Amino acid sequence: MESVALNLAVAFVKILVILGIVLGVGAYLTWVERKVAAHIQRRPGPMVVGWHGLLQPLADGLKLITKEDLFPRYGNRFLYNLAIVLALVPATLVFAVIPFGPEFEVFGYKIKPILTDVNVALLLVFGLGSLAVYAVALAGWASNSKYPLIGSMRKAGIIISYEVAITFAVMGPIILAGTLSTYQIVVNQIEQKLWYVWIQPVAFVVYMFSLLAETGRVPFDIQEAEAELVTGFTVEYGGMKFGIFPLVEWYIEVLSLSAIAVVLFFGGWSPLNIPFLGFVDPLFFLGPLSPFVWFLLKVTALFLFILWLHWTLPRYRIDQITEMAWKIMLPLALANIVFTAVIAPLIWK
Amino acid sequence: MAWARESDFSDLKEPFKTLEVVENKGTTSLHVRKEELLNLLKVLKEKKGYKLFLDHSVVDLKDILEKDKDFKNAVAESIIAFPEDRVSRFQAFYILFNVDEKKRVVVKTRTKETLPSAEKLWFACKWAERECYDMFGIKYEGHENLVRAFMWETYPYFPLRKDFPLEGFPEEELPSLNEVIKGDKLQGTMNYERKHTFIPTLEDLEITERKRLQKKAQIVLNWGPLHPGTHGTMWFLFDLEGERIVQTDVILGQLHRGVEKLAENEMYNQFLVYTDRMDYLSALCSNQAWVVAVERMLGIEEYVPEKAKYIRTMLSELQRINSHLLWLGTYALDLGALTVFLYCFKEREKIMDILEGITGARLTISYPRVGGVRMDLPLGALEAIKSFTGRFLKELRDWERILTRNRIWLKRNKGVGVIPPEEAYFYGVTGPVIRGSGIPYDVRKIDPYDAYAEVEFDIPVGEEGDCYDRYLVRIEEMKQSVRIVEQCVKKLEKLPESAPFFAEVPKEKKIKLSMDGIGLKVPTSEIYSSGENPRGELGFYVFSIGAIKPYRVKVRPPSFYNLSVYPYLMKNRVIADAVTILASIDPVVGETDR
Repeated sequence: MESVALNLAVAFVKILVILGIVLGVGAYLTWVERKVAAHIQRRPGPMVVGWHGLLQPLADGLKLITKEDLFPRYGNRFLYNLAIVLALVPATLVFAVIPFGPEFEVFGYKIKPILTDVNVALLLVFGLGSLAVYAVALAGWASNSKYPLIGSMRKAGIIISYEVAITFAVMGPIILAGTLSTYQIVVNQIEQKLWYVWIQPVAFVVYMFSLLAETGRVPFDIQEAEAELVTGFTVEYGGMKFGIFPLVEWYIEVLSLSAIAVVLFFGGWSPLNIPFLGFVDPLFFLGPLSPFVWFLLKVTALFLFILWLHWTLPRYRIDQITEMAWKIMLPLALANIVFTAVIAPLIWK
Repeated sequence: MAWARESDFSDLKEPFKTLEVVENKGTTSLHVRKEELLNLLKVLKEKKGYKLFLDHSVVDLKDILEKDKDFKNAVAESIIAFPEDRVSRFQAFYILFNVDEKKRVVVKTRTKETLPSAEKLWFACKWAERECYDMFGIKYEGHENLVRAFMWETYPYFPLRKDFPLEGFPEEELPSLNEVIKGDKLQGTMNYERKHTFIPTLEDLEITERKRLQKKAQIVLNWGPLHPGTHGTMWFLFDLEGERIVQTDVILGQLHRGVEKLAENEMYNQFLVYTDRMDYLSALCSNQAWVVAVERMLGIEEYVPEKAKYIRTMLSELQRINSHLLWLGTYALDLGALTVFLYCFKEREKIMDILEGITGARLTISYPRVGGVRMDLPLGALEAIKSFTGRFLKELRDWERILTRNRIWLKRNKGVGVIPPEEAYFYGVTGPVIRGSGIPYDVRKIDPYDAYAEVEFDIPVGEEGDCYDRYLVRIEEMKQSVRIVEQCVKKLEKLPESAPFFAEVPKEKKIKLSMDGIGLKVPTSEIYSSGENPRGELGFYVFSIGAIKPYRVKVRPPSFYNLSVYPYLMKNRVIADAVTILASIDPVVGETDR
């Protein structure tokens, strides 16, 4: 009885911590993005609200929340609101299976810094990822407007194409690790002394492409392509209802998928890897905190890389994107699986 | 001067009984009766090589025909076709360009109300005819789609006719604006007229929209008038099958201000400020084109001092870079490359600062004057320009590194919006659009004005005629503009500081030339004079009867004709290409609508 209560308490604390981190960081990533974009574009970015605009996300949130709630005439109010829930919930749920670091002990109680270490974690991740398409499709449909409809159709087309590619891409690391549990994949990488990116570069590239496509980042941001569709499927949303979509798509999803990428390809919380030899930890002085910092650093690096792309590249056209998914990414991912299957026995021993 | 000679048409006298060839100071015109007009145009296009359509419009001769003195003067200068006909009210003119021999000709005819439609010969003419129908009420026989060009469908008047007053017919009660509340008498500027001219209601706009496009496919998408991708207030109708565009139509006139009507009621120098507001991104080039046109009419081109000519050339080339920078920024923005936009605007800001320092204004400049420029260059202006041109090419190379060889950029631009050379003539496109199709058509070379004859520069041309070629052409044009600016700076540095910047006209010419241009009378004559704007050939057809105000000014807006190719290019493309193609045509609404 006592252990059940303790377990529940620990799970509750974990949920609070993860939610707090995810939503708080999500909001503050808007500030990071604006700053990064500004410096790429040779301008200072937000400077007025707080020191170097640090309070800007709060001001933005306040503004969005206090805005009038507009609703398009003849729209479907239930689906319109459901779309927001469907966008936010699956994206946040993904963090349930992301391991932030190794197991540690507090007061003699072992805690894994992961909400639930289920053995089908990756299936869960991509299942939840597929749910995003409902949010977009419903948002487009319920708005009763042409631009959102076109935008949501585009997005649905992309997600369906890249779901296939991303699933086949992660097959490589899964075969190498021999498990679907995210925690176990990291542990296996540490045991095998190998970041999977060294022998799965193709899978990693396909994964990154799919990540950009699913989160609607440049060069795949066609569902909101300002110049063509104004802002795509969010045209008819206003205030915080509008704010949730970019928050989910551009920050929470990018964050969760980057974290999954780190888990799959960069050995999660492990320090720098020399293939087959071991790990070098320049951050050893941090002691037990070092793995968490490593995890954070890797995710940050990936996120900044995505921002860099976003503020540099032009965007593709819808037919070019789907063409690339089916004609290049999918065959590449399939070839990669065959390749992995051949070399996997070598890694396993 | 790039005008055809009388001898060129000697073989046409035989088949065309009514043909008269008149060589004037500013133009060479063929006068022909309405019945033979279409055949003559066809022969000119197919046999004589006058393939490129420049402009078509109508002059309403009502006031001239009513006043004997004006009529006699006009006949003496032979600017009226078939003067024996004193009933036909309208004189139509077609301006054509011979691509191989590089010369222009004007075809004129007279009519009471109807004209044959030349839409089969030039698509651009179709749009010009729609404009004439809109403004003069000319009925075109055989026109496929004779709807109003700028005004809404239910508008009852024809504004450019001489009997339409400048202020319009005030017929409607203006709501709220002039309401006198509780017996208060509003004084001064608040005291509005109670009556106002027509303004379109939503129903009018709906009728207009219905009249444009017969729905064939799934959805009709209203793209504009307020849309970030349309570069202004343009209203496109896309008939969509999925994302594929089956047919397109353009509804213009959201920014129509009747500049041509205003021109008839302003003095020559006063109209200068309206040229600013047409193509507001290249105000200086428009100013220059207008000023040169008036100087040519006055015959004082050679009296304009060298310094003024070089200043005007230098500044309008800076303005060209400025305008192309805005194009590059927004083009990249439309294709999703957000950062290039800000880079471009940063450099653009520097040009704006230079222009502001020299002319005192950033956007609507009005710096040139008939006979020179408004004031001398300030101290240090040339140094500022030199430091800008010194670093600009490096910046440009940086941006090109982001875009030119970028795979995504290539994929989005190559093979999109291809205009073959023959279609370029058919649609009457000019400027970088026609040069992108491989035709070296540049007014600066064909009919040099100001200092363009004395500076060295190349005309870049494309090969395929797709969006990518137009992109490369514009980028190269910026580099050429830098070249011209550098030459002008060198020349201006050599000129003494006390050199005049405004023309001194000898007394015997009897021209009252002053800086403000008040009372400047232009002799009875007509002229078609054009300048190379960043968007293409900006032409002014000016018809003067020796008064202080022009009798008729027809502006040849490059964006208007460039835009006419848009529905053709959009056929069977997706919405994503709509922005690419539109941005590569680069229209400015202030100019298409005027």
